[in-house]
Amino acid sequence: MEFSDAAARVLDTAAARGAVYCDVRFERGRSERIEVRNGEVTGLSDERSDGYGVRALVDGAWGFASSNGFDDAALDDAAARAVAMARAGAAVNAFRLGEAPIDTYIDTFATPVERDPRTVPIGERVALLLEAEALLHAAPSVRVGRAWLDLWRTEKFFFSSTGSRIAQTIVQTGSAISALAVGDGEAQQRMWPGDRGLYQSGGWEIVEAAALRENAARIGEEAHLLLSAPQCPSGTYDIVLGGSQVSLQIHESCGHAAELDRVLGWEANFSGTSFLSPDGLDTLKYGSDLVTIEIDNAMPRGLATCGYDDEGARSGRSDIIRNGILVGFETSRDTARALGRETNACVRAESWAHVPMIRMCNLNLLPGTTPFEELFSDIRDGVYMEANRSWSIDDRRQNFQFGCQIGWEIKDGKRGRMVKNPTYGGTTPEFWNSCDAIGDDASWFAWGTPNCGKGEPMQTGRTTQAAAPARFRNVAVGVGYDR
Amino acid sequence: MTAEERLALAERTLARSRADATDVTVIGSHRALSRFTRETIHQNVDEADVTIAVRAIVDGRVGIASTNARDDGALAAVNDRARELATLAPRDTLAPLVAEPAAVGAPPGAYVAQTAHASADRRAQIAAAMFARAKEAQLWSSGYVTSEDSGITIATSAGARLAFDGTSAGANVKMNGTDSTGWAESYAVDIDALDGDAVGARAARKALAARAPAPVDPGEWTVILEPAALGELLAFFRPYFSAELFAEGASYISGKLGERIAGENVTIRDDYAHPLNPGMPFDFSGAPTARLTLIERGVAREIVTDDVWSRRLDRPNTGHAVPRAGGWPVGPQPLHTVVEPGSRSVEELIADTPRGLLITRLWYVRYVDQRRSIVTGMTRDGTFLIENGALCGGVRNMRFNVAIGELLEDCEFANDSTRTGGYAYSLVTPSVRFPRFRFASVSPY
Repeated sequence: MEFSDAAARVLDTAAARGAVYCDVRFERGRSERIEVRNGEVTGLSDERSDGYGVRALVDGAWGFASSNGFDDAALDDAAARAVAMARAGAAVNAFRLGEAPIDTYIDTFATPVERDPRTVPIGERVALLLEAEALLHAAPSVRVGRAWLDLWRTEKFFFSSTGSRIAQTIVQTGSAISALAVGDGEAQQRMWPGDRGLYQSGGWEIVEAAALRENAARIGEEAHLLLSAPQCPSGTYDIVLGGSQVSLQIHESCGHAAELDRVLGWEANFSGTSFLSPDGLDTLKYGSDLVTIEIDNAMPRGLATCGYDDEGARSGRSDIIRNGILVGFETSRDTARALGRETNACVRAESWAHVPMIRMCNLNLLPGTTPFEELFSDIRDGVYMEANRSWSIDDRRQNFQFGCQIGWEIKDGKRGRMVKNPTYGGTTPEFWNSCDAIGDDASWFAWGTPNCGKGEPMQTGRTTQAAAPARFRNVAVGVGYDR
Repeated sequence: MTAEERLALAERTLARSRADATDVTVIGSHRALSRFTRETIHQNVDEADVTIAVRAIVDGRVGIASTNARDDGALAAVNDRARELATLAPRDTLAPLVAEPAAVGAPPGAYVAQTAHASADRRAQIAAAMFARAKEAQLWSSGYVTSEDSGITIATSAGARLAFDGTSAGANVKMNGTDSTGWAESYAVDIDALDGDAVGARAARKALAARAPAPVDPGEWTVILEPAALGELLAFFRPYFSAELFAEGASYISGKLGERIAGENVTIRDDYAHPLNPGMPFDFSGAPTARLTLIERGVAREIVTDDVWSRRLDRPNTGHAVPRAGGWPVGPQPLHTVVEPGSRSVEELIADTPRGLLITRLWYVRYVDQRRSIVTGMTRDGTFLIENGALCGGVRNMRFNVAIGELLEDCEFANDSTRTGGYAYSLVTPSVRFPRFRFASVSPY
């Protein structure tokens, strides 16, 4: 396997300096991006970044050091820094945090790719974006059209002092269009697909699935129409959320809440803690009986899909919420051990330069049985909302307020006129317990989020929350505009 | 990596360019951070990297490529990739430029060697001082100590050679009790200015004073925001001064330059040379950065531009370009916000408040309506009731929905200017009193 000699040097150096366990993760990262704005290519970039991160365990304390130097001196220095970091922590720590893992994997993984993005000529990529962007200008009020795509490829080579040797190639792809319409003292934005584009693991087929050209004119037209649409009403209403907004709701109110590092206080000073606790396992009524949320880090097209996480644990499936009851957390080896459980492999690092930590990975709300149009059928007076534009939740993941780009009234079981600035708010368990219908398989989709922030130093994570549209009863609507 | 090493690397890269014009940006970064919870360091990291970015111009077209490999082959390859991308790109309507030579001077005191070379043991000692305060107060602590040094060198085929080196150190801590929390932070260029004991003591005092938080009714309150809380709000106000957002019509100040948009006591600058937060004297395109007054006594005066937006809007290039490669599309940004302080102390503002709230920190501020400057968010880690000019205990956290523009029409700043925001964003601001701050709901804690 590539980097075997360099890895052996790092592991040997760390051991010689006193580490009881060490792992090293070499990565080659490539990010290609094209941005188009109002008919011009405003960005055409190709970034490559190679390096490695070393984790060392000394006296129950972890140290992490990263480097992009590959000569012997740099390898030795990175290992020595990681050990020194661990030793400095051990000297002041109140308790032992880490234990050396005992499992060992020798394996490879590669993202299934139908069309390798590298084979798509840059001219073809640019042409797609220029054409889609041009179609956004469906009305004079559309002052700014944007289109962009991201092609990411990461090769990872993981070695541990327990003998793991794991090679992975992760391919992730995303694209989006956005229209900004400006009126008298007002601006309205629409994006497609969803609220940040279509980001999944896979190749050029993900860009084709986004259907940018096919939807651009409609998105531009909707941005224009929103300028003159009536304001979303304020009050208590039944609501239906589109799939991408349900995805965001899962992300913010379940995904982050169920990260066990947060629950244990590891993120308290920044991202916060959680209203969930181990005491609630198997008893807390998080949502209605319809609500089952699971981790699936091996699912096709999941943005967090891989064979092994960044501490060398194997990807798989596990439940977080089963029929409305809290049954699990997203874990690492150290945090899972605190509960007497095995890790469910939710550890990721943004790049070789970053320390691995618990990240929301693929965390999905399983589909229900209600066809999409039937979600509206017994709502007399409600609101349907699509595509997030505002998101805020407290530091325990309870009190939330979200806004969407577009909404429609629901009158007597049918979608009615468009409304602008739709918002809603609530408290997490009450909200999920008010869910009384979830869309069926046909409306279930793997929505990816490419820019989830967490940790200090801040790391950007790539995650999927697959979801279908869903219905919620008696929700506070119009919050934020009822000042 | 030293400035001399970065310059040599930039020259080697530039020498391998075959484009019509080229700029090379070399960024060396080294960040160490010791993060702790429950008096135990759980993330102890030391990250180092060097990035070489090449912007190639060929026949009026632009391509950008970057690498972090430094051998001759990699430097030739990154030039070739940038040049290839440029040949495949459509031609811009504005002729792309590279920076010309310019005389810029770094603000004094931006780099302190002991910060750059701070050891893990040094950071652990600062953390240990906070641990001691936690134990003394029977609280548990969560926070970090960080030290970092970074340097940037820009070299262009037009002859510009620019370099800047800076350091930053910081500590923050949240003290946690059974039903209350308290938080404090400190940032400086020099790690010796960090006082872990003082930061820990301040956070502990807040956590203890906030015990048994009482619920209060939402609605309109007089609030005093400490610098960290105001900083969270202003991080969502300063993008309005970007030429791009302004020109698109999506800025709160679109069409309002020269108009009164705030109270006469509001003056906000962008100043890379402020002694509390010294920064780069040039932007990521190599243009000298101007020190600007964005709002002068309540009147919107300036927007920030870069080499593209200055020409689109026929305005001077103020030198506020942000990195061009990767990330989300953003235009020029004012990244060194400085709010002019008032004359009274925050204690005097509290004493002069019959009924209100003192707020330590905000959380998850987001736009509800960007054009109208409406944002939502939560209070956290130390929210206190003021009655008859005195603090009288903690209250539960609340969600707010406010229009920042409206708040700035009627406010009073204190005289306690502080650098806040750490590495996520960084600005210098005092505390402020807003007489009408709208809360929508109350949390159970």
